[in-house]
This record gives sequence, C-alpha cells and structure tokens, in this order.
Amino acid sequence: MRFLALLLLLPSLARAGLIFDDAWIKNLPPSVPVRAGYLTVTNPDSQGVKIVAVRGEGFTRIEIHRSVMRDGEMHMDQLQELEIGAGQSLRFEPGGLHLMMYPAKPTRPGESYRISIELGDGSIRTIEMTVKK
Amino acid sequence: MPMNKSSIAAVAILALVVGFSLSWYLVHKQPVQLESGTWFGDKARPLPDFELIDQDGRKMTRENLRGKWSLMFFGFTHCPDVCPTTLQTLGQMMRRIDDPDVAAAVQVIFVSVDPERDTPQILRDYVTYFDPGFIAATAPMEKLRQLTRPLGIAHEIRNRIGDSMEYDVDHSAAIVLVNPDAEFAGLFGAPQDAGAMARDMTRIVEHN
Repeated sequence: MRFLALLLLLPSLARAGLIFDDAWIKNLPPSVPVRAGYLTVTNPDSQGVKIVAVRGEGFTRIEIHRSVMRDGEMHMDQLQELEIGAGQSLRFEPGGLHLMMYPAKPTRPGESYRISIELGDGSIRTIEMTVKK
Repeated sequence: MPMNKSSIAAVAILALVVGFSLSWYLVHKQPVQLESGTWFGDKARPLPDFELIDQDGRKMTRENLRGKWSLMFFGFTHCPDVCPTTLQTLGQMMRRIDDPDVAAAVQVIFVSVDPERDTPQILRDYVTYFDPGFIAATAPMEKLRQLTRPLGIAHEIRNRIGDSMEYDVDHSAAIVLVNPDAEFAGLFGAPQDAGAMARDMTRIVEHN
C-alpha cells in the first residue's frame, strides 16, 4: 500500500513544477489603460517548460512582452510563448521581460488579482499578483 | 626704474583680477565629469524653434525653458514598462537631490510622442502621479518632429491597423538635458540610475 502511494507520488516528485515569486503589478493612474506585471519564474525540473498563455480575471488581455533597446530606441516585442529551460530562472523586471496587462477597470494599489498561467502541456497554474505603486 | 605707489597698486589689482579669473575658469569651465551621462560642455547648441502644448493646455516654446535646467524624456502614457520606470527614476532623482537650491533649479518635462492618445488632461494625471512638480507636453506629430528630429530623438508608431487606437510607439529612451539658456547641453542614456543622476545634476547646477 505504501509502495503504491509512493509510486503515485513519483511523477509529481520528478516534476515539481514552476515556482513563481515576487509577482506584482505596477499601478498607474486610472487614465492609463495598460499595466505591467513582473515576477520571477523558476523551473527546478530537468525538462524545459513553456508558458503559452496568461489570463486573469479583471483583465481583458494579458500578453508577454519584452522591452528591447535597438540603436538607442526602445521597442516592445510580443512573445507568443516563453520557454523556461531546465533549472533556469527567468526574471520579469522593469525595462525587460514583462506582462502587458489590459485591466477591465482601473487598478488600485493593494489589490490582488488571480492570474492563470497556461503551460505547454495544457495545465494551468494560478498565481496571485498584488498591485503596487 | 622705481615703481610708484599707484603702479604697485595697479599691478596688485591686475594680479588679483587674473587670479580670480583663473580660479573662476578652473571651477566653471573645466569639463564636468558625469557619472551617468554625457556633458556637451562648449558644444551645447540652441534648441530648435518648437511649440508644444503643456498639461494645462498652455503653449510651451524654447523661451519657456529659459532659467532652469530641464530634463526632457520622450515617451507615451500607453507604455507600461519603460516610461513609468523612467519617470519613477526621475521622481526618485528629484527626492535624492539634497540641496533644495539645486532641486529648485531642475525641472522634468515628459514629452509625449503619442499626441493622438495623450491629451493634456491625460498627461497631467500621468506625470503628477510620479511627482507633483513634473511637467508634460505634446504637439501634433509634425510640430513634435521640429523638436525631436534636431535632438536626434527617434519615435515611430508601429503595429497600427487602420485607425485603430491600439498600437505601439517605439521611442528613444535617452533623457535630454537642456541648460537655462535653452541649449541642448547633454544626454543621459538608458537605463538611468536615480542616485547617479541626482549627483550629476548637483554637479552640473553647482558648476555653472
């Protein structure tokens, strides 16, 4: 019986899944219809994982963007998916990788939103993101 | 030939004048060494003629920039990442300038390169969110280019389908420094650091 339980646990031990840290949304005045979201994603597994979509209640759309400097000019590149390699940690941070979020109504500092992150295998992870000034 | 009293006095005065001029020259005309930007020194050049509309709907021309050191940042309010980060850095910079006289001599101007979406009222809400003293301005695209082109500030609307109001704006991330004579006097490249810029602005204001 114990052996069976262990056997059932094994796949989840082998794939601990992504770890999300420091997830927050930068607040902006109500007249601005976009927000940027930041977080750190760590993949402790021995296989790469892809983020293929991000959704959240309270947001009409969330995209993965990267601010890139080319010839002294800032561009925003949209990424259709984002791969986090085995053992890799990716940091979404100001001036780089960020979630481009379109709130349905203006956000306020202190609010929390549940954000769903869809992975390449179709599974969904839900994280909480807090709005900060 | 023995010198009389008045010629001794004349020589002494001359020596004093030369000494003062030299020390003034050494203090004020030496190149300013900046931590985080480029100082043009003698190569500062007058801003072009331009006309923008500020956050209160008033006209802003080159003449309005006289008398203060202006830091001009070019961006747009629908920019979620780089523009808020830069304006936040500039707000922190203002709060880190220790000397109130220096802080009073510096102003931050956010110039929107997205005049279609950024009305004066939206701009006022936006910049004062970062610092109540920040100024914002914009102008129709052709008028905007009369200012941005000579400064080497590039900006371009991208990914716009028809008249859709959803699009990106690529823009230079450098901050333009304008001196109290309304001359283009330096540049702070991205990414900017609040502490280094506060020290640099203190050096610049105290030096001049």
